[in-house]
Amino acid sequence: MPSSTHHVVLGNGIAGNHAADVIRKRDPNSRITIISAGALLFYNRYDLPDVFRGRHQWVDYLVHPPEYYESQNITLRRKTRVVELDPQTQTLSLAHRETLHYDKLLIATGGHAYIPARLLDDVGLMHSFHNFRVAMQVQNAVRKNGTVIMLGGDVMGLDLARTIIATGHRVIVALDNRTFWPHEIAQSERARYLQALESMGLDIWDHGKVDHIEAGNSKGPARQVFFEDGSEIRGDVVMPFFGLVPTVDFLATSGIDMERGILVSPQLQTARDNIWAAGDVCQIWSATSNAYRFYYGYRNVKMMGEVAAYNMTGEQSAFESTVDEALEVTSKGLLHSPFWEYD
Amino acid sequence: MAKQTDIQISICGSAGDGTIAVGDIFKRAMARAGYRVIAFDHYPAEIRGFGKCISRTRISTNQVYSMKSYSDVLVSLNDLHAIPHVGEVRDYGAIIYDSAPMSAVAEGAHISGHLMPGHLPYALPIRELSELATGANRSRNIVALGFIAGLYQLPQQAFHQAIAAKFETKAPAVADTALAAFDSGFKSGSSTYKFDDVQIDHSRARKNGGEVRMMTGNGAIAHGCLEAGIETFFGYPITPATGIMERLAVEMPRRGGRLVQTEDEIAAISATIGAGYAGARAATATSGPGLALMAEMLGLGVMAEVPAVVFVSQRGGPSTGMPTKTEQSDLNLAVWGGHGDARRIVLAPTNVEGCRRCAARAFEMAEKFQVPVIVLIDLYLSNRYETVFLQGEDNFLPKNWQRVGSSSPGDNYRRYELTADGLSPRCVPGEAGGIHTATGLEHDEYGHPNDNPDVHSLMSKKRHEKLHDAMKYPGINFTKRFGDKGKIDVGLLAWGSTFGEALEAVLLAREEGIRCAAMKVVMMSPLPTRPILRFCNDCQQVLVPELNYTGQFANLVAGELGRPVVRVSHATGAPMDINYLLTAIRNAAKKKLRSKTTTSNPAKA
Amino acid sequence: MIPEQPVYLEDKVDEIRQSGRLAYRSTALPTWCPGCGYYSMTEGLVNALTELRIKTEDTVIVSGIGCASRFPFFMDTYGFHTLHGRALPVATGVKVANDKLTVVAVGGDGDGFAIGGGHIPHAARRNVNITYLLFDNGIYGLTKGQVSPTSATGFITPTSPFQNRDAPLNPLLMLLSYGASWVGQAYAGWPHHLTQLIRQALEHPGFSYLHVLSPCVTFDKTDRTYQNLDLAVRELDADHDSSDMAAAMRAAADTSTPMLGLYYAEMRETLGQALDLIAARAAGAQRIKRATTRHRQRKAPA
Repeated sequence: MPSSTHHVVLGNGIAGNHAADVIRKRDPNSRITIISAGALLFYNRYDLPDVFRGRHQWVDYLVHPPEYYESQNITLRRKTRVVELDPQTQTLSLAHRETLHYDKLLIATGGHAYIPARLLDDVGLMHSFHNFRVAMQVQNAVRKNGTVIMLGGDVMGLDLARTIIATGHRVIVALDNRTFWPHEIAQSERARYLQALESMGLDIWDHGKVDHIEAGNSKGPARQVFFEDGSEIRGDVVMPFFGLVPTVDFLATSGIDMERGILVSPQLQTARDNIWAAGDVCQIWSATSNAYRFYYGYRNVKMMGEVAAYNMTGEQSAFESTVDEALEVTSKGLLHSPFWEYD
Repeated sequence: MAKQTDIQISICGSAGDGTIAVGDIFKRAMARAGYRVIAFDHYPAEIRGFGKCISRTRISTNQVYSMKSYSDVLVSLNDLHAIPHVGEVRDYGAIIYDSAPMSAVAEGAHISGHLMPGHLPYALPIRELSELATGANRSRNIVALGFIAGLYQLPQQAFHQAIAAKFETKAPAVADTALAAFDSGFKSGSSTYKFDDVQIDHSRARKNGGEVRMMTGNGAIAHGCLEAGIETFFGYPITPATGIMERLAVEMPRRGGRLVQTEDEIAAISATIGAGYAGARAATATSGPGLALMAEMLGLGVMAEVPAVVFVSQRGGPSTGMPTKTEQSDLNLAVWGGHGDARRIVLAPTNVEGCRRCAARAFEMAEKFQVPVIVLIDLYLSNRYETVFLQGEDNFLPKNWQRVGSSSPGDNYRRYELTADGLSPRCVPGEAGGIHTATGLEHDEYGHPNDNPDVHSLMSKKRHEKLHDAMKYPGINFTKRFGDKGKIDVGLLAWGSTFGEALEAVLLAREEGIRCAAMKVVMMSPLPTRPILRFCNDCQQVLVPELNYTGQFANLVAGELGRPVVRVSHATGAPMDINYLLTAIRNAAKKKLRSKTTTSNPAKA
Repeated sequence: MIPEQPVYLEDKVDEIRQSGRLAYRSTALPTWCPGCGYYSMTEGLVNALTELRIKTEDTVIVSGIGCASRFPFFMDTYGFHTLHGRALPVATGVKVANDKLTVVAVGGDGDGFAIGGGHIPHAARRNVNITYLLFDNGIYGLTKGQVSPTSATGFITPTSPFQNRDAPLNPLLMLLSYGASWVGQAYAGWPHHLTQLIRQALEHPGFSYLHVLSPCVTFDKTDRTYQNLDLAVRELDADHDSSDMAAAMRAAADTSTPMLGLYYAEMRETLGQALDLIAARAAGAQRIKRATTRHRQRKAPA
């Protein structure tokens, strides 16, 4: 069916891009716009640890070349921030004071690093790793054979730690109750997983909560982390890995139902007409858990993009996770998370 | 080895945004920093209103010859004007725009929605930065300039100096405001992560050498006039030549020169011929329509053998045509325009430095050969900026012609004496012993009217043949070949402003493995046929690119050489498109291959 | 004005030789018709130059095209015989190039007021320090007798076989309103008076316009003949005030009895003086600019 429907996808990650790809296949004539806060085309964030292996050109991380967007007739609007959504008039307000009308909207804005409130004062002294630019900054900040301090240590952090260690650096993980997030680890199992971490070459630092962070002097390491028990460690960078929180700040006035993330049906539809959500931003109704819950990892997120795209173009299919979410210790005693797998 | 710097930056805004002004600071700063600069601005035709302005600047470490066909960076000071130009930015180039415009815009009216996937966006709160730094939004242009300088790590000092120089004549607060705006943009640019692959390698900029000046073609002509010691200028305003008169109006009186704005172009050329007759270094400047009005008086200049210099900057024609667009369609008029056999000298410089050189030499040649000299450029060359390196190598000659008076009293001075080289002695009013009447009537050696058939035949010969030596006049390369030597597949014969694009296209074609070369022809009349013919004989195919519909230079060359050439005409009002030319070269090279096959086939059959 | 006794050339030869006036005449014989008014004008200019002792090499006579424009060939001074209608701008160029020269533009009514009419106001308002001798015979003589801008209404010529219907223009009124700083009228039939007016015109510092009425003895047998002109012309009133523009205009408006003499004269900045002033200002402006730059340089370190 020919269509001039305007499909707007918020978010330039796996969910959004895969959805756009599927929408294009199912509705060749519709208008598709992807809105991205970043400056780059869709690239593979899972590969970003490679900046430590000398892969310093962002072009090398691209999933599609620029021509892809032209051949697919997909408009990609970068450096564009949505400040408000009005489901009544089906319009998005953009930060640069332009309004954009949509017929069907997919919110796939993902999540961003969670920073515990007690550390907010020291945000300026910490490095994150969520995009190419900051990944390069971390890579530049870590000296040869230098030390990276990871606070928390969620699965993204632990994935990065593998590469950092492999490239000759030291990683200290300051344990927290968010270590291994989003895997839920029973207290009885914890020691086994920590041992696996040590087998992988990570240094475990189990001194409770961080008190504050200071910049080091020009001679020594650039950062000092002080813990509430009075201990301190030093490193080139301090990176918070306390898990993700959904990026939903622009939805405050939209009337969309939210808990921590956007609440959607198994068909990924919100309670408002013509609005779907997919990826790390949404909580999907699970009849088995009798609750709305998050699903993480490349495969889940890509599947959500696909389901949403089908449902935005006339289907009514439900999302079902096929991922076994358990954190494993391999036969070699190393840690393995299913969320580290992607194609 | 570090890559040579060669980038082109476009700044696009609306009249009133300070687009051209900030482009001017940029190119002057980059010239100060040691780069070669070529720049061409686009102005609206209307004086008032919110017309589109674009300032395009190409900076490079090596000599380049034209603007590039694409830009590496585009700055939008006005999205509605800039959106149509987004496409000129190459993949992985940068687009810089205001992320927080003053007022809400309709869907599709913000430039961020129009970027191509290969572009790198830099969303900068230009207006807010201007307000924070200066308390007003008027310095958006300078904030954007500072951002570029910061992003590409350009030398801040050179920009500070260029800004101070720009506002030298204004109240000190104006420069201070501009510097504050610049520094604010610079700080923002320095702290912005550079995603694009635009490289400006400051370490390779030219460090020292002769004096560097930033000039337009018009400015270079004025400069050349002053170096040659111009004494009188008579002119009538006409786009795009007016800038020459405006510059000279400032500079000539300081050096004792005299400039008068006349009532029309006829009066301008008449007074110029009058002043030339009286012995002054005299010039006028006009465009095609003015040259048409001057045609009759140029005939008198040829007949009476009066030196005069006419600068002509061509624009889109005929009639009023496109006064703010460029074209090379007055070649016929310059070379042949007028009645009778009125051979004159026509020089067509190909770049800004050439404008200066030809302007100065034109006075010498007009005096030596006792004939009007036309220096023919076009709007593109008139208004384009280039860095000119003044190395003090050019010592233009003072007035110096064969002044031979008559020893016997009475009216027996042989002003038009027939000599071996056709050049006669010449005296000017005020000099005893040289009294004569110059006339537009055919005349004998004394200048007395005479329509005897032998006299007309001898005098016609004299007036033509005396110009042969003009082709040997030192100090200008009247033709020059660039590119591959020896036998080649494709040769480009180019003149005027188009030569730069022709050479750039040849350099690109050579990278593709096509054997090709470009020859510039600077002397249009008399045409240096010998070197042109030698060049054509080396080429399988000769292309003549030019900015007109009929192929005026191609016709001139084909007529004088009796050899066919391929016309590559481009009459759009814009400078020659390098890609269009490159395609023509590729096609010509392919055709040559085909013709090779067809010639070999009959042998097989 | 008119001598009472006849004068014979042979009695005057020595006097003429000694006067030096022959130095201004070339050996070329004039090509004008016998009886043409232009002979007396040549004599008038030669006499005036002789009286003023202006050197031949410092004199330039610039002409356009027409019978009158042959003038330079008959003078042994520098001359420039230019294009139809362009004598004034060429003469302006000569004068701007070299202010020391005495520049005289000559031409007829067609050359000056038809094809060259656009240049007169500008030479006048700029007050170029040249003398313009306009020989008005009300006809195109060199092309054999067509109507001119000063031909009378009703005049029959080859190009106005059914009578000229155009009104003639009034050159004196035009020149006065253009701002010419010296305007006079003379008559070829009054050669001594003509000489005196040419001399005054040459002496005037600024643009001097002398309108000279002349017959065309070959192509005009009916209108502007010596007989008719002799009867029509008279001298300006003795009490005419040549500094009174209104009076000059009133006199110029009376075309039925053309009045001869100096209509109007004023002293005003010439183009040459203006250009010298501009040069002085430009030099001064440079000094002013340098002064401000120094001032700013002193301020900068603080």
